[in-house]
Amino acid sequence: MRLPFLTIFLSSPFDGLLEHAEKVKECSLLFQQAIECSIASQCRSFGEFREQVSQLEHEADAIKRRIRGHIPKGTLMMVDKFQFFNYLKEQDKVLDTVEDILDWISFKELPAIPNDVASDLRQLVDISMSPIEELSLMVSEAIDYFKTFSNKAREVVKERIRGIRIKEHNVDQLEKNLKQKLFSLKIDAVDIFFLIRLVEYIGNIADHAENAGDMMRAMIAQ
Amino acid sequence: MSIEFIILITAYACGFYMSWNIGANDVANSMASAVGAKAITIRQAVFIAGILNIVGATFIGSHVTNTIRKGIISNEVMSDPHIALLGALAALLASALWITFATWKSLPVSTTHSIVGAMLGFGVVAGGFSVVKWEKLFAVVMSWIISPVFSLALSFIMFKIIVRLIISRRNASLRALNLSPYFIGLAVFIVILSFLFKTPLGTRLSLTTCHALLLSFIIAVCIALICWWFLTQKVKHSKIMETAESIFRRIQIGTSCYVALAQGANDVANAIGPLAVIYFIVTTGTLGTQVPVPNFLLLFGGVGIAIGIAMWGYRVMETVGTRITTLSNTRGFSVDFAAATTVLIASKLGLPVSTTHAAVGGVIGVGLARGIDAVNFRTIGMIIIYWIITVPAAALTSMILFKLLILLFGR
Repeated sequence: MRLPFLTIFLSSPFDGLLEHAEKVKECSLLFQQAIECSIASQCRSFGEFREQVSQLEHEADAIKRRIRGHIPKGTLMMVDKFQFFNYLKEQDKVLDTVEDILDWISFKELPAIPNDVASDLRQLVDISMSPIEELSLMVSEAIDYFKTFSNKAREVVKERIRGIRIKEHNVDQLEKNLKQKLFSLKIDAVDIFFLIRLVEYIGNIADHAENAGDMMRAMIAQ
Repeated sequence: MSIEFIILITAYACGFYMSWNIGANDVANSMASAVGAKAITIRQAVFIAGILNIVGATFIGSHVTNTIRKGIISNEVMSDPHIALLGALAALLASALWITFATWKSLPVSTTHSIVGAMLGFGVVAGGFSVVKWEKLFAVVMSWIISPVFSLALSFIMFKIIVRLIISRRNASLRALNLSPYFIGLAVFIVILSFLFKTPLGTRLSLTTCHALLLSFIIAVCIALICWWFLTQKVKHSKIMETAESIFRRIQIGTSCYVALAQGANDVANAIGPLAVIYFIVTTGTLGTQVPVPNFLLLFGGVGIAIGIAMWGYRVMETVGTRITTLSNTRGFSVDFAAATTVLIASKLGLPVSTTHAAVGGVIGVGLARGIDAVNFRTIGMIIIYWIITVPAAALTSMILFKLLILLFGR
């Protein structure tokens, strides 16, 4: 067979991007459970969660490598290649951060904390997760936009990005408050360091989600 | 059994083999996007492409063999019928060999270019470099560059128009339905025009250009309106939600037919041109300045293409259809429209343009309009290199074969 047609077409990188975003979403659910478990005393299944997250991270990494490997030099894409890769990088960093946090928690037993701090921590995790869950929605909405180039579809994506930004802002606020509370706690300095670092890590997740949103905004720019 | 008879039989076999090859490998040009977009099944594609290639070859295919034989080398070489006979056979054999090699190695080469290269090779051996009409050769080479570029521009514009007028709008499906007669009409207009300008039917009607344009316009409007009515009925009774893409899926069946028709009309000359020359020399013993191509030879070529499609096109379309999934219906339509229009216009001008190249140009056009997720431009570079290599490779093979034939049958 001599098919000039076949060699021109590459598999769509957006399919891979969506697949990667789904993995991120899956991971965020597990992460939430892992955190819940570790806040509650006597967590037995934390190791299991951590194992699963690391497994998912590996799979997502494979997807990332597959996407990169299937965009050879000289590929013309719908969007700027560097923006695309930057987006992918940010989306992947979300996962890396999740893994880092679980590693961090595994280093040390979570110190006993007052109930209100614990509930703040839970809330922080909760609202940090929602921008991540929206990443996959954003990707599939962006795919819709690239199919039709319609203004309506573009507005939907922009609205989603705006939403992620607002949520990131909320996370920031909560993070600040929580840090303040932590410093006023009368506990061991090492424990405070441990908790502050944990809160910062959790805040980073939403930062990366927001960065991804910014990259997406650049990709859909007219 | 005379030598001439043996040569004629060989020429028939080679001519058939060439047309078989066109059908087997190049069917992807017309049907790939429609099959990839699941507008039609592979079985339907094979059937439609086969029939339309026969129709295109027989009715629109050139009835005089012209540019390929004459343009590139001067008449002096052809003055001796015996030499011309062997030369045409050498060219046919050489391009058949080169095409076989290309198919075996999966090189994306064009049948059009290999036959032109082969003709050139034989001409150089028979009459030296002085017989090569460089300005004609240059014009032909330019047409290879111009036709993909033209197709590229056409598909780029067509896709932009579709985006601007239809798919980016709020009520995209309704707009697609309402604007469909214009797209259908445009395609039909060009087909009818090429029918009128190129076929004996057109000459028999002896229409002026103005009348031909008018007649094509009227027929195009009628057909467009009929198609529109059918489309509206279909959409009305369809249970699923219709989108612009799903409406274009239906239109795309039409454009795929359009490409198949253009391909039959254009590419049949590659296989049948040299055969017609041989046939003419053997039957009349002389050689005119132009050689008529009898209808039955065109039909023979068309049937050859159809058999190629039926025997091998299946596999090609299966491969292509599963791999080209990023080409949605609106994109496929733009590619098809550009390729077929380019080919029909070029063949009207008597230029040996390749359907493959026009189709590749069309894909690049949509890619540049940011219509395709990812296009590999480096392989496009590779394809261009093979376009260039084809001519000298076929020429060289033809030279060697011609020398051999002279040794075998020469005086």
